[in-house]
Amino acid sequence: MDNPVLYAINSTFSTIAQSIQAVPGSGIAVNYIKNSYQNDPFRVVLELGLAIYAVKYMLSKKYRIDQNDVQLTEKEIDELIAEWQPEPLVQTLSDIQRMELEKTQVIIGAQGPKPKVQSSGKNLLNLASTNYLGYITNEDLKQTAIETLHKYGVGSCGPPGFYGTLDVHIELEKNIARYLGTESAIIYAQGFSTIASVISAFAKRGDIIVVDDGSNFAIQKGTQISRSNIKWFKHNDMADLERVLESIRVESLAHKKRPLTRRFIVTEGLFQNYGDIAPLNKIMELKHKYKYRVILDESNSFGVLGKTGRGLTELFNVPAKDVDMIVGSMANTLSAAGGFCAGPKEVVDHQRLSGQAFVFSASIPAMLTVCASEAINILSTPQGEKLLQSLQDNAATFRAVILGASQWIELSSVAGSPILHLRFPQAALTTAGVHTRDEEKMLLQEIVDEVAIKDGVLITRAKYVDRQEMHLPRVSIRVSICATHTKKEVEKAAQAVKTAFGKALSRRK
Amino acid sequence: MTKLASVYKTDYVQSLDQHSQTNLNSSWVNFKGAWMTNLILIAFLKFAFNIIPGITPEVSWTLTTLVYNVGSYIMFHAVTGVPFEFTQGAYDGITLWEQIDGGIQFTATRKYLTTVPVVLFLLSTHYTHYAPFAFIINFTATVINLIAKLPAMHQVRLFDINQKVGGTTD
Repeated sequence: MDNPVLYAINSTFSTIAQSIQAVPGSGIAVNYIKNSYQNDPFRVVLELGLAIYAVKYMLSKKYRIDQNDVQLTEKEIDELIAEWQPEPLVQTLSDIQRMELEKTQVIIGAQGPKPKVQSSGKNLLNLASTNYLGYITNEDLKQTAIETLHKYGVGSCGPPGFYGTLDVHIELEKNIARYLGTESAIIYAQGFSTIASVISAFAKRGDIIVVDDGSNFAIQKGTQISRSNIKWFKHNDMADLERVLESIRVESLAHKKRPLTRRFIVTEGLFQNYGDIAPLNKIMELKHKYKYRVILDESNSFGVLGKTGRGLTELFNVPAKDVDMIVGSMANTLSAAGGFCAGPKEVVDHQRLSGQAFVFSASIPAMLTVCASEAINILSTPQGEKLLQSLQDNAATFRAVILGASQWIELSSVAGSPILHLRFPQAALTTAGVHTRDEEKMLLQEIVDEVAIKDGVLITRAKYVDRQEMHLPRVSIRVSICATHTKKEVEKAAQAVKTAFGKALSRRK
Repeated sequence: MTKLASVYKTDYVQSLDQHSQTNLNSSWVNFKGAWMTNLILIAFLKFAFNIIPGITPEVSWTLTTLVYNVGSYIMFHAVTGVPFEFTQGAYDGITLWEQIDGGIQFTATRKYLTTVPVVLFLLSTHYTHYAPFAFIINFTATVINLIAKLPAMHQVRLFDINQKVGGTTD
């Protein structure tokens, strides 16, 4: 019985040997394996281990390192699909949202100090637009705009880097730099996205930005997209700013420092949400002590503060070259559109390639550029100084009337600021039984409606994206003073607002 | 304080930046031309070492393996970051090996790049006639290169080399 078994085994092995020899290149492989033993089993084990590792690696399935999704079975997926109900494409509006839609005023015709509204067809005194110096209806500017329109047409048809730069853009940049006293300036097409673009052009992961917590939405978004480490300090509280800077310094002593960590302090000149002014002299002191760079957002203060409207640097007598970046808006006071960033030449040139809003947006139309240039020129003439003076006077008049009713109106702006935020004091609200933010909004909306209908004054509540603001300010009515209103009109409007506040509160009691 | 080893995990929101655009620094390793160039470079190294007068085949094979492993270690595992800047520093502390294919392990390129040092090692031990000294050099170089490519070493930093600074969100 052995013979057939042995014969079978023998023939199997010889068939295998023949088939291996038939494979081309098998001689090399067999030679390699024969040579490789070399009386050194330890080494052979190592080599075999390496070869097996390579083969195992080749046969492994790929996977993601950070996969933390829940893996569902087919049955679970089917169940979820079966019980899914589609939501309506448009959610039904809540009371507040419906109220916002209905009560928004629509202006018929041109914007100006006394626009006509659609709801009543009457002309209301405009205390809601950021038309601080009344440039919207300035005749010289209108004439310049018409001439430019005839010469340059309407649009610029391209980003500044791709045939969208006109000679008027270069002129405006030189004009702004000369007026502010910095080395150069760069123009952005939209005022809101300017500060966000500037911050993210210079800060990235690992950098440190110290921001005032009363900053506007654009600054918050800018710091968010820059992906840096954000540290907030209490609004306009210099002691708190020093505390934050000191804590950063202590922290960075403990860790090994990254070679090029940039550090910034970002604050606004004239705060949009509170109407007060940042103490620039104290900030410059801290900046020099802790070696930070300052980005100053002068969206509401350029063309408004200072004797000739040069902004916060003029008001505090700080040389503009000391502030690393001055970011401003031409869409507010200058009644054009867009924004600018003024600073040293390297800072400005870097933004020509890295400023996202500069590279990826069309440039400002020529008409608006020339208007902004002209508006800046007017600022330095006696006419401009007169306008600035009457802006301050009107703001002071309004403020004086409102301060007379301090039991039921809380004013968060400082003297000299044309933005006034009027709020109910917290104590008055609790006695009136108003507890939630929505109720407060409704109450303020009553005031807005009443002065619009009865006294012909157009004011507005300050609007925020509630869910996305980092430090949501309290609900308020924001009044923007205009220089071309007469003193009597401003007084009458202030009285109207004051009585409306008092009446709204007494109605609730 | 130097730590022996530290591991970094990527936060989901922070990693959204990295995957929104193709990583041009690491996408070239997937091209077939790159694979072929890898082999051609090894051949070129071998020829270059052969040209040196008075060199024996054993030494030239050993040098080829050594130089290839050291060079590819420096290129894939020592240098961090990307040479251009559009993602707010998303790849700042990350080596080229960790950037390949966005961190997915066992993709085709990673398998190829792991197999090449192993095959090179086996060839060079064969052609150095299994001399022990050459074997030790080749083996150490290959094993260090392979350990760096292990999935368990993804974003792990030993002995404070290439240590990421505290405060970097990545």
